[in-house]
Order: sequence, then structure tokens, then C-alpha cells
Amino acid sequence: MKVKGFLKDVGGASRITKARLEAFANASPVPVQTDPIGDVAREWHPGKIELVVTDIRPASKTSKTLRFERPDGKKLPPFYAGQYIVLDFPIGESLISRPYSISSAPFEARLEEKPFVEITVRRSKGDGFICDHINDNVKVGDTFMGSMGHGQFYYEPLRDAKNVVALAGGVGITPFASMAKEVAHGTLDMDLTILFGSVSSDDIALKEELEALKSDRLKIVHVLSGDEPDWQGERGFLSAELIQKYSAPDTTYFICGPQVMYRFLHEELKKMGTPKRRIRFEVFGQAKDITVYEGFPKELSDQTFNLTVVRGIHEDVIPAKATESIVVALERAGIRIETGCRSGECGFCRSKLISGNTFICPENDGRRAADKDFGYIHACAAYPLSDCKVKIPIE
Amino acid sequence: MKFYKDHYDVIIVGGGLSGLSSALMLADKGKDVLVLERHNLPGGLATSFVRGGVEIEATLHEMMSIGDPGKRLKVGQFFDDMGVNIDWLEVPEAYHASLPGLEVTLHPGYERFAKEVDAAVPGSYQKVYDLLMLCDRVCNSMNELGIHPMSKPAMLLKHTDFVKTAGYSAQEVIDTFDLPQKAIDLMSPYWIYVGAPLSTLPFTIYAFLMADYIGSGSKVPKKLSHEMSMKMFARAEEMGVQIELKQPVEKILVKDGKAYGVRTKRGDEIHGDYVICSAYPNKVYTSMIEPAGEVPAGAIKAVNGRKIGVTAFTVFLLLDKTAEELGIKDYNVFKGDTMDTDAIFENYKTLGPYNYITTICLNLANPTCTPEGTCILSITALPRVDGWLKVGADEVDKVKHDIARSMVEEMSKYYGVNLLDHALEVIIETPMTVAHYTGMWNGCVYGYMHDMKDHVVARLQTADAEHFIKHLEFGSAHQLTGNGMGPQVTNGRKAAKYVLDSMAEEAK
Repeated sequence: MKVKGFLKDVGGASRITKARLEAFANASPVPVQTDPIGDVAREWHPGKIELVVTDIRPASKTSKTLRFERPDGKKLPPFYAGQYIVLDFPIGESLISRPYSISSAPFEARLEEKPFVEITVRRSKGDGFICDHINDNVKVGDTFMGSMGHGQFYYEPLRDAKNVVALAGGVGITPFASMAKEVAHGTLDMDLTILFGSVSSDDIALKEELEALKSDRLKIVHVLSGDEPDWQGERGFLSAELIQKYSAPDTTYFICGPQVMYRFLHEELKKMGTPKRRIRFEVFGQAKDITVYEGFPKELSDQTFNLTVVRGIHEDVIPAKATESIVVALERAGIRIETGCRSGECGFCRSKLISGNTFICPENDGRRAADKDFGYIHACAAYPLSDCKVKIPIE
Repeated sequence: MKFYKDHYDVIIVGGGLSGLSSALMLADKGKDVLVLERHNLPGGLATSFVRGGVEIEATLHEMMSIGDPGKRLKVGQFFDDMGVNIDWLEVPEAYHASLPGLEVTLHPGYERFAKEVDAAVPGSYQKVYDLLMLCDRVCNSMNELGIHPMSKPAMLLKHTDFVKTAGYSAQEVIDTFDLPQKAIDLMSPYWIYVGAPLSTLPFTIYAFLMADYIGSGSKVPKKLSHEMSMKMFARAEEMGVQIELKQPVEKILVKDGKAYGVRTKRGDEIHGDYVICSAYPNKVYTSMIEPAGEVPAGAIKAVNGRKIGVTAFTVFLLLDKTAEELGIKDYNVFKGDTMDTDAIFENYKTLGPYNYITTICLNLANPTCTPEGTCILSITALPRVDGWLKVGADEVDKVKHDIARSMVEEMSKYYGVNLLDHALEVIIETPMTVAHYTGMWNGCVYGYMHDMKDHVVARLQTADAEHFIKHLEFGSAHQLTGNGMGPQVTNGRKAAKYVLDSMAEEAK
């Protein structure tokens, strides 16, 4: 083997070593800290940021819109219309977090003057005590920690049709309010029709705000399921027939609302022959009642188990009800765990089940294959069926 | 509340393949090890994500250096030795090269590969085969010298070709074979797996790539690279390693020129005899050493004297038809407007459209990796950071969609099907995505460039002088063997070996 001659060839190793040392010798001694790509990543995903409530206004008879700004007046992280924010609520000893679809538009988070982000929260009928807490107790000037720009429920121009029909039920309007504002602002390029199902005409969340945005590219169609003789608009449920009426030949459907609506719409869209890739569902949220799922051992419904919680070399033992997710057990015990979607999808609460059995909510199983093999759970969607030992991240 | 022991033998910053390999090797030698990983998953870039209920491979194209049971290559052997049993699937081909005037599918095995090149470029068989044989000898020498270093004269006798080619770029050595340009073009696509043009890429590295991939073929784990990461992770835990996720390390604590611990973002100060760190030296020496005065001037010059490697841009398409239905026949397509790697390298400094892309259809190696009736494509370019440095937070979305669209259109033309008409999911991964999930400096995935001024053989020769802070060792792609998943295992083992040697030395 000869490349350029024996001496030059065998001298190669010394030559390259010299070249490398020379490059070091000639280099600048000044530290360069800049990491602009990391800076952009941190601007989008800064983790938890401080947020102060700067405005609260009614969004309907039973819901309120809360505006948050950063205490220093800086821009909020960029996000996609349809994504959610996770807010932390210190309640007693516990720190409880909840995801809320953002009802303001992405451009509003990036305004030069007073950038903000908003959520719209409906007073719940019983189980959403945080929703009630927000409606009853939160006031202007309160501060929260939150992280935002989460979730996969947003328009992707390379994937979705130009025509979008949004199917909203009740407070499920919030992600579409964000999309509508962005479309009206000219920064989201799609034609949006919102079919908005409500029970009664005097309790429609964000009604006036949305009406004001209507344009060629943005239609809002209210559909009432309640019995109101004077109502001039569409009535009933969001049926295949109704959806078809407002659809273009190639339409992507975005669906956000209560869980019963998902099941209903799933069938309606199937009837219409809608291809799978044209249907986008927002995640359900925590199962309202885990005992109704197939495979859940109903005889354990009243049981409370011992949950051993491992963080590093530290262990605690706390009670955990079979009917509540491990995340809820941890929150009740005042043990911090970060959650995002609370629907088993995002994996923020990914934890290791060291021993014991859990029931995984079948509609909320977003785990990776290898994680399943090694006993990992998404603690927001895992319910203890025996005494359990879990390792969770140290917060 | 106490989450950590008072003291560890070794603290490893970063639970990617390198950090986990270090942990396995140190635990195997009975050391008390703590691994701190910033993300909530182990593996670093060897990971996956879930969209629309489907788990998608995030980065791995082809795992090198595994081999088959009974004839393992070095990484496969290490996994066997450590009791890490990964369910490997064979990648069915080397690659399909789609270049101006060339549409050629090439397979592993030196003879078969040379025959396939010869079929496209008649008369080239012998020279192609000879070049592959040279690659094979150089690669074997490098692997052997990695385990048994020897004196220079002994090396010259026993590893002649390795020594004689070390001083040259891939281009310089390939030129001596007097091959037709088309044959050279067909043998050049793997350059992208190291991201350095042939004119500056050390032949040693080219030889390693060709011999490893063409000589033995490549593999993918059945349950994606997350399987590999999880199996290493679980085995390390089984061997007594403490691994904590979601624990970014902000500071490496140094006193009198010697590392003695770390401080996490949470504020935990943790002490250990040694620290192995996967963060880029750029970041470590400019912002992580505490106190900053402990950073010697030489460390900054050594960092500034090196070239940062490429970053990554990938479009993932989950499609609503099978590969067969869509007419996708090849696992791996390298598609270029040119095979002039200098020209591509220049193009990669821009924000696209990129003139050289690589597309993987994982289903062709791993048929059940997506639900029935679907398949997954990932289309990748490996741009340099240059163009991306100017992209601000409000521009990145438009930039990424423009680039992604051009890449998808290019491949739609190639397959003769509009891929977007079948897209169940479209996910775009940018350099910012890499920076977000891994914290890698400027989103760079390939460490420092393999270059004639930063040659792997030179790195080896000067490694000892580059321990600027005692008891602080580095792992990951910015280390000796550079980028790639196989090399991360090697880098992690090298870091562990350094620590073990240093422990033994100091015990004397």
C-alpha cells in the first residue's frame, strides 16, 4: 500500500497530531458561551414559568376567562393554537397541577406590548374541584407556576386539509377559540368552521368573542341540544348529516369536548367514510370513573392499598385507592410529581412500577413498548390493584 | 429528605448510551455509581416518541458494530458481556443510492457489494473490492489497537496499512485506486453518518464506516432504540447503579484542579470521586465548572480549536398504507442532486432546500413497528448549525415547514406518490428539538467533526494531555470515536476505563 510515498505515508500519524495541537495553540483563549439554538429551544420550552393573573372576565354564565402575564412583562413561550398550559395549584399540603387548553391566540403570547395567555374555565358539576377553585377563589394579582405549549392537538399544515371543521362541545371550545383568533389574525392559514354544540343559548362559552371574529375564512355555527322554541339556528347533536352540510370534500375534523361526544362523533365520522388521517382528537383527560372500564376488577373498588414511593434512596408509604390514579394518591399525600396531560399521553409522570399490580386505563395508554416490558407506568393513568412500590422522579 | 448517598465512586452526568455504557462497565467492576439524566427517559438520542398512539423511532438509522451471535463485533460483544440482551433485527440492505444517472441498491458483504457496484459501473469490481479490503484491514487494526496499544515501530510492522493511511483524508486514499467517478459516488453515501466531506474526513474513519457497515451489515432493535436504552438502563439498575431521571446537572464542583461532585438544578449537591460528563466541553468549560476560575486556559483553547459537527433535521411521516402498497422498496435511500460531498457540505450551511437527504422506511427491517396497514418514513438531512444560528423563536416554525415540505416533495417525486395524501402524522424534528430534549450544545448531534486537524488517531495520541481537570472525564459524541450510536458505547467504555485506570493508579 502506497499513498504518496513511504516516508510521507509513515509520517502521517505524527503530522496529524501536530496539526491538531497547532489548531489548539492557534485557537482563541476567549470562552464562547453562545448557544443560540439552545436559546430558541429554551424560549419555546422554558419549563415552569411564573404567571400573574392580570384579568378575569366572564366567558358565559358559568365560565370565566383568566388572563396571565409574566411578572416581568416578557413574552410568553411560542405555542401552537390548540395546545394546553399546565398550571400548579398549591392546595393545603399538596401541589396539584391541571392542564387547560389555551383559549388565547399564539400571536397574543408574542405581542410586543403586554403579551398574555388566557384560559377559559367552566364551573364544574361536582368533580372538578380545581375548576370551582378557579371560579371562586382566584383573583387578579394571584401568581401561579405553569408550563405551556403542550399537546398534539393543533393544525399541522403538512398533514391536515386546508378546510377544517372543528367539532366542539361545551368548554371544549377553548382550543378552537385559540385557532379562530389566529386565523382571524392572518397567521394560521386554514378555513375554519366551528360547529359548536351547547345545551342552552344563554350559556355559550366565549360566544361574543367568537362572533366578532367571523369572516370568509371563519364560520361559527351554534348547535343547540336543549329544547328552546325561539332558537333560529341548528339543533340537536353534531350528527353526520349536520357535519356533512358544513364540510368541504377534503376536510380535517378536530374534536374537543366531553368524552361521550368523542364516542358519538367517532361513529358519525365513520358513517361519513372519513379517513382516519382526517380525524384529530384531543385527549380525554383523566377517566371520570375507572370502574366502568372493561377489565377493571370491580370487587376492588372500595380498596385502599399501601403505596411505597421511592425517590432516590428515600422511601415513603402512602395510602392509594384502587379507583384513583397513582398521581392522585401522590398529590393527596403531598408528594410532588409533574403531570402534563393527565391522560396517559405525554409521559411527564412516567414512573417505574417496582412491585405490585396496576390497572392501566385502556383509552389512556400512551406508553412505549419497551417501557411496558420493564413495568413503567404513566402514573396519571395507572390505578393500584394491590400494595405497590413505585419509583418516581425527584421533583 | 435525603435522595442521594453521601458519596459515590463515580457520578455520571447524562444517561445516554455513553453514560449508560460507562455505568455498566463501572458497576461490573464493583464501583458505586450514580447516573443523573436531565430528561425523563434514558437513552439521550437513542429514544422514541409516541404520536397518535404509535411509537416512532426518533433517530436510529442503522446500529453498527453489533454482528451476529458467535461473531460479534465490539459493541455487540460488550452488550453480551454485560448481559444486555437486545432483540436485534437485520437491516436488509446497505442502501439504495439515488444519484444523478445512478439508481443502485447495494447490500452488505464485500463481494456482493463490489459486484453490485460493478453491475452499475462495469469493470470496477476489482478496484472496489481492493478498496473495501483496505478498509477492512484498517478497521481491524483500529479495533485491535483500541484494546492493545503498541509502540510505533511494532504498529508499522503489524498494522502497516493503518499507519500508512492515517495521515490522509478519505479522498486522498480513494484517489489512489483510480476508480471511475461513478463507482466512487456509489461508495460515498455513508459520509453523512459522520457529516464530514471526504476531502477532510480522515480515511481511518471512512474505512471504519465501510468495513463495519459493508463487512457485517447493520441492525435495529425490535422495540426501537428505546429498547436498547431501556435494556442498558434496567441492567445497570440491576447491577446496583442509582439512576435518577429529570435531574439536570448545572455545576461540576472542582477544588484544586480536581472534580469532587456536582450540583443539580434542584439544588442537590452530590459528592463523588470522579465525574463523567456527557455535556459538550464547550458548555462544561464555559458555564458548568464551579468555581469558574478552575477552568484552565488550555481547556478553552482546546474547545475553540475544534469544529462543531452537524446537527439534524428530520421529517417523520406515518402513512396510512403499507410500504408495499406505496411502492417503497428500500430500507434506506440516499438521494442527492450530487455526490460531491464538499458541495453538499456547503449546501448544509443553509436553511435548505437540502441537496442530499436520507430516507428510512423502518418497516422494511422491522415489519411490525407500526400498526397493520401503515408504515413510517423518516427523511433526514444533517445540516451544519451555520444557517440555523440566525433562526429566532418566532421564525423557526415557518423555516422548518418550508424545509420539511421540500424534503417530502423530493421523496414524493422519487416514490411517484404524493406522500402527504397518506399522512396520518407529520412530525418535524429540528436542531432546536435536539437541544430541547438532550440539551446538546447548539443542537449538535455529531460532537466535533472528524477532520484532518482533529483526527481520531491524533485524539488518541493526545488524550492524556486533555484531562484539564483531574477526575473529570467526558463521554458522548464529542469524545474520541465521535458520533453515532455504536461509537457512543465505545466512548462510554473509554471514559469508564480512564476512571478505572486512574483509580488503580492512585491506589498504588
